[in-house]
Amino acid sequence: MIGAYPSVVVRVVSALLSPFILLFGLYIIAHGHYGPGGGFAGGVFVAAAVILPRMTLDEELAYRLAPPWLGPAAGGIGMLLFLAVATVPLALGGDFLDYAMVEIAGVAASRIRYLGILVVEIAVGIAVFGSVVLIFDVLTGKSDA
Amino acid sequence: MIVALDIAIFVIMLLTAALALRVKDLLTAVALLAGYSLVASVLFIGVAALDVGLVEAALGAGITGVLFIAAILLTTRRSVARERPKQQALTMVLIAGFFGLMVFASTDLPDRGDPEAPAQTGVSTVYVSQSLADTETPNVVTSLLADYRSQDTLGETLVILTAALAAALVLMRRPEDDAVEDERAKAAVEDERATDAVGGERATDAGEEQP
Repeated sequence: MIGAYPSVVVRVVSALLSPFILLFGLYIIAHGHYGPGGGFAGGVFVAAAVILPRMTLDEELAYRLAPPWLGPAAGGIGMLLFLAVATVPLALGGDFLDYAMVEIAGVAASRIRYLGILVVEIAVGIAVFGSVVLIFDVLTGKSDA
Repeated sequence: MIVALDIAIFVIMLLTAALALRVKDLLTAVALLAGYSLVASVLFIGVAALDVGLVEAALGAGITGVLFIAAILLTTRRSVARERPKQQALTMVLIAGFFGLMVFASTDLPDRGDPEAPAQTGVSTVYVSQSLADTETPNVVTSLLADYRSQDTLGETLVILTAALAAALVLMRRPEDDAVEDERAKAAVEDERATDAVGGERATDAGEEQP
């Protein structure tokens, strides 16, 4: 499961594919406004891009690319980012999670809600990525959390 | 909606689910469940639920299989045959009754895509018609998840993170566990040496045991 896979074909294909899976995951997160996807699906794809090298490449290399502390750290950061975005309108006198209360000069309220959705999707993506990587690392016994 | 495709999908889903229960090799069962999820994602995409289909394909057919395989590598690959429970007839009657109840209830459901369905006449009309003006987001699912109903999404994310942390707490290998295992291994080695020592090699063994 963990460590270099015996077949060189599998190793090379995994090493070539994982950056593109990562890119696709980021695209899914960022493109949620216009197509299927968003934070949940994108976060899973980004996690797949981290898990694939762990299963096929040399152990030292795979964990240098994405160290084991990344899972819990990303989970916490994503959740905190979501909560921070949620409480900003509250501090400005609006409702919880009501992004339209944040007023930026020259930006329409609908545009601010659009940006709020983007930040929320990124936060969800980071949290889901962290959760999946954390579960994988704990199952394979590599977590140092 | 293509009826033949739907029937084929349901038949494949039933077959893979039943086979996954029957096979003794757990790795095969995981592969069957991944196939089940992939066909389920085709079903979701068939009813134009693209977001759900994407998540099902990525999570159900991809990551879940990897996590299952990791769990199999930690435990065992063969499933153990369970002894048949005594109240099997009662269980079958309960399952058949529940199935009949579900089929009976499903006859009252509105047709798929019916514009008069309760789900289409309530607050969702506002979301569908106002999403573009309110949030500049053409994908209503995204604006629903992250804007109109973002509190639900906050809760969902919290649930996912909590589940991952709980799994980590249950499965994590603590240093003291390793210490206990090391001590056990050392004790086993010493037992072996004790039996070897009968052969008169006590002096060399004692020398080796000095750290």
